Amino acid sequence: MKPGLRTLAPYLGLAAAYLLFSLLAPAAFHGAYNLKTILTQSVIVGIGALGMTFVIISGGIDLSVGSLIACATVLLARALNLGHEPLPGWLPWAALAAATGCGAIGGVLNGFITARFRLAAFIVTLGTMQIYRGGAKWLAAEQTVTAPATWLNGLMEVDAGPRWLWIAPGVWLLLALTAAVAVVLRYTVFGRHVYALGSNEAAARLCGVPVALRRIQIYALGGAFAGIAGAMQFANLTLGDPTAAEGMELDIVAAVVIGGGSLRGGEGRAAGSLIGALLMAVLRNGCNMAGIPNYLQNIVVGAIIIGAVGLDRLGARGSRA
Amino acid sequence: MVGELSKPHLSGPHLNEPRSGRPILRVLGVKKAFGAAQALRGADLEVLPGEIHALVGENGAGKSTLMAILGGNLRPDSGDIAFRGEDWTPAGPAEARNRGVSLVHQELALVPHLNVESNVTLGNEKARFGFARSQADRVRAALEELGYADLDPGARVGSLGMAERQIVEIARALFHDAKLILMDEPTSSLPARDVERLFAALGRLKARGIAIVYISHFLDEVARVADRISVLRDGATVAAGLPADTPTPDILQAMVGRPVAEIFPPRQGNLGGTVLEARGWVSRPGAAPADLSLRKGQILGLAGLVGSGRSALLRSLYGLRRPVAGSLAIGGEAELARGWTLERARASGIGFLSEDRKDEGLALGLSIRANSTLGELRRFANAAGLLRLDAEAAAVETMRTDLAMRSQGIEQPVGELSGGNQQKVALGRLLLGDATVWLLDEPTRGVDVGAKAEIYRLIAAEAAQGKAVIWAGSYLPELFGICDSLAVLHRGKLSPIRPISAWSEATVMAWAAQGVHA
Amino acid sequence: MLMTKALTKAVAATILFLGAAGAAVAGEAVAPGGTAAKTRPVVAVIPKGTTHEFWKTVHAGAMKAGSEEGADIIWQGPAKEDDRKGQIEVVQNFTSRGLDAIVLAPLDETALARPVEAAVKRGIPVVIIDSDLKSKAFSSFVATDNFAAGTLAAQHMAEALAAKGGPASGRAAEPVGNVLVMRYLEGSASNSNRENGFLEGLKKFAPKAVVVSSNQYAGVTAESALKTAQNLLNKYPDIAGIFTPNGPTAFGMLRALQIAGRSKQVKLIGFDATEPLLAAMKTGEVAGLVVQDPFRMGYLGVKTALAAKRGEKVEARLDTGARFIWAAEVDLPDVQALVHPDLKKWLGN
Repeated sequence: MKPGLRTLAPYLGLAAAYLLFSLLAPAAFHGAYNLKTILTQSVIVGIGALGMTFVIISGGIDLSVGSLIACATVLLARALNLGHEPLPGWLPWAALAAATGCGAIGGVLNGFITARFRLAAFIVTLGTMQIYRGGAKWLAAEQTVTAPATWLNGLMEVDAGPRWLWIAPGVWLLLALTAAVAVVLRYTVFGRHVYALGSNEAAARLCGVPVALRRIQIYALGGAFAGIAGAMQFANLTLGDPTAAEGMELDIVAAVVIGGGSLRGGEGRAAGSLIGALLMAVLRNGCNMAGIPNYLQNIVVGAIIIGAVGLDRLGARGSRA
Repeated sequence: MVGELSKPHLSGPHLNEPRSGRPILRVLGVKKAFGAAQALRGADLEVLPGEIHALVGENGAGKSTLMAILGGNLRPDSGDIAFRGEDWTPAGPAEARNRGVSLVHQELALVPHLNVESNVTLGNEKARFGFARSQADRVRAALEELGYADLDPGARVGSLGMAERQIVEIARALFHDAKLILMDEPTSSLPARDVERLFAALGRLKARGIAIVYISHFLDEVARVADRISVLRDGATVAAGLPADTPTPDILQAMVGRPVAEIFPPRQGNLGGTVLEARGWVSRPGAAPADLSLRKGQILGLAGLVGSGRSALLRSLYGLRRPVAGSLAIGGEAELARGWTLERARASGIGFLSEDRKDEGLALGLSIRANSTLGELRRFANAAGLLRLDAEAAAVETMRTDLAMRSQGIEQPVGELSGGNQQKVALGRLLLGDATVWLLDEPTRGVDVGAKAEIYRLIAAEAAQGKAVIWAGSYLPELFGICDSLAVLHRGKLSPIRPISAWSEATVMAWAAQGVHA
Repeated sequence: MLMTKALTKAVAATILFLGAAGAAVAGEAVAPGGTAAKTRPVVAVIPKGTTHEFWKTVHAGAMKAGSEEGADIIWQGPAKEDDRKGQIEVVQNFTSRGLDAIVLAPLDETALARPVEAAVKRGIPVVIIDSDLKSKAFSSFVATDNFAAGTLAAQHMAEALAAKGGPASGRAAEPVGNVLVMRYLEGSASNSNRENGFLEGLKKFAPKAVVVSSNQYAGVTAESALKTAQNLLNKYPDIAGIFTPNGPTAFGMLRALQIAGRSKQVKLIGFDATEPLLAAMKTGEVAGLVVQDPFRMGYLGVKTALAAKRGEKVEARLDTGARFIWAAEVDLPDVQALVHPDLKKWLGN
């Protein structure tokens, strides 16, 4: 089997979708402004998917990321409300750190319960999904939390503030994080352990990999990325929203799977997950542009996900033969 | 090399009786390719009714592919098959079964959550008004016929042992009125006693005129049970219908395609100082305290029946399971068993090879590179924590060449390799590490003859360079060939360690069976 | 080998599927983006969701205005009813496409402000319908005065309570009893205004009535509303009147009352004329409804947006009005015309 083909599939899918909508949608579709729009719209799912890439490669899953994103938006808004006008310059940074930290703490809890009590990650995070959602609503006193305007609000502007940025700062962040995750997965001991854990946990244990610790670290990373995605969601909404990102965990999982991640563990790539998120953004944007009604959008996105997973199966069969 | 000839604990009546008559199955020039790989390039096979026909060959020779074709799981690319005098191309497992060909799988195809009866009748249930009707009587009759009248049709298959599960599969074949039963490695996971019972069952099938194609690695078993032997090599039949009394070296030569030279390398007996000493070591609750010492350059064999606690002993020494009591001295420093962990074992220079390559030893989806360095990644990381991939690749490449590993480079997923090459990856991991004490649990399991010889040479060479090795195995000729001292376990009770020359196969078996010196 | 084949097949299948999907809508949707767009203005109407009947009526009104003005209407909501991010993306995508005007029913009064400002910055006038938006960028706000509509509901709730609690003589007695308000969703301006208008109005028209609960949110779907309603009803066994601020919450509450066997004992006043509520009016299970004029909302929204596009001066605030209907009045012709506008004529099916 040539290893490159499964890796190439998401790129081909993205190219195919883009070409198709170039034909279907009005000319504005392949304008620079729309390109920037698509990139901006893939930031939140994309960053969440980068964290999920670690989790899925290690053979786990994290269903609580949507709720963690909501938690992060609320906590960020609350943190910004602590300052009095004029806001001190460090406050947005502290709020950003709080959002990331909040995600990481949620992730640590997911990892700890999964590793310590040897429970299925699906069940654990199904539970914490509800818990964190409740936490977000409690933090927000069951309403959206408005916040004073800061530079954070500009992170997701399609027309970025300074012209030389060209695209939204959030997009640059997404690209930088993708590169960082790719490096960690390929060039670090930790990254190698992530793959080993997902491919065969017993073998990893045999080789002295600290399995429980790694699991906790992996979920913590996944959570931290959800926290950053939450900060981007805040920038998008300009408010803390306890109902934000409901169901987004499935978009995030889908992005990873489309990008070559395998729910059986041991497979997945940072760039692939980014492409998965982009592909879904292109589909939504293209469907809007072409005026395709919602029900067809749902059908198309669903078909693509099944197609990606089907490809995964075919790939596995091909490699066995 | 006499090692391959006999399994000493096997005894009893010979089943071999020549049969004659028109063949029930005739396979001629069957070919099958998977992509570029030609798995079968001309397989022939002729089986008589009431005959046990052994099919032998190295791993990858195409035995399982041929079985899958006959069982209807694969379509041949070309070639002729005739069954009971008619031309036949198996169209699917159900069609093959209805014709009277049943495949007893290597990895048993049973539903563990259902009971014996449901498993036997699976796919052939009788229903009245949609409710399954009990066929327990017929199932019981099939079991009785196989000499397993004591097996309860209502027992859950998940609660049965390997041997009984196998019987359930064979009973399923009987239930479907099979004329030809294909058995792929039926004894590979059975203890000796169950092997005897299985052979008895095969004798009864034979008496009923049912033909059996029997694939096995164990040539001694083949010699006992088979009427005739066919040999596959590189996807082609190289010897067809050899008589059962063909000398084993001849069969081996047909299998590997060259004369089998010395399988076991010569051992030189200069041992160094003691590197590991266990006192009163209790590896699992109920086991007797064991004393064990190991010297530099020594290969200590650990014999014993399945379940005697060999694995438990090795695993507790490696810290994979928490030992109950005792103390352990490695390089002079004594440690108590409590608090002995995998991290400390590894830090003290102990390395371990699992008997279960697939589920524990290797990450089959990952590359040779990732598998072989998984335990020693820090060696290849720079101060910033980044891996030096070039240095890693060079080390793995050297190891691959040293071990004569047959693969497409170091990035190939381990799952695509043959059993022998997989085992080389697992051993390569030890080579790349800095462990000085190697605990090897069944290191040649599921490895073909050629690769076995290479593994023997490798371990002997490592011992000569000062490694201390404990080799746990159940195949006595192998232990006698490779080890310089031996200890035997009987239900967790360890015999004294003695030089290999002080043991005979009879005394080993006596201790293994009764825990006393004969 | 195998992989290449599989891959080619998968990609081909995807393209075929997308092509079919595109072709399926080509007739109605792609055409406006084509050559015809050069002459006909294109207006995007973005509702909060696409599954409620209320929004279908808005759609019909928009189509009517479109046909009168010779404009093409693109109807596109977020995939999920409370998906703020989804709606933001729809607005962004239409901004990016660069059409003539946008009519938007914002899901959130804050979150949608920046995308709307971005659209206006790119020269696309935006008219807000149904719910308010915290922004000064848009051209006009076309909606029911929700606070007034809530007060209207309170006034009639007082009458209903008085009739219920009053003596058999028929003379209106003092309106008394426990009243429950089940709210809709955190951050929904239109619904909070209705809820608050009701609560204020009740103080005025029925000072003796007791509001036992007004802080529970039903959520977006009828299903979540049903759960919340059941929990509330279990907690308060003695309720005389209930107000719910929109169609799904009213329906969830109605089902909860029916399941509990209390639908005939409690005066339920709902909002919006959905089919199940109208049917329940006939059996007396719903006491009355405040009915908005969504048709007019869609109609005026598009008209105003096109006027703004032409550079005409438009009113900053247009009230589309609300009317209270008692259960007994449901069959009157003018009520029927309001609650059953001729959708088929405008939507085609």
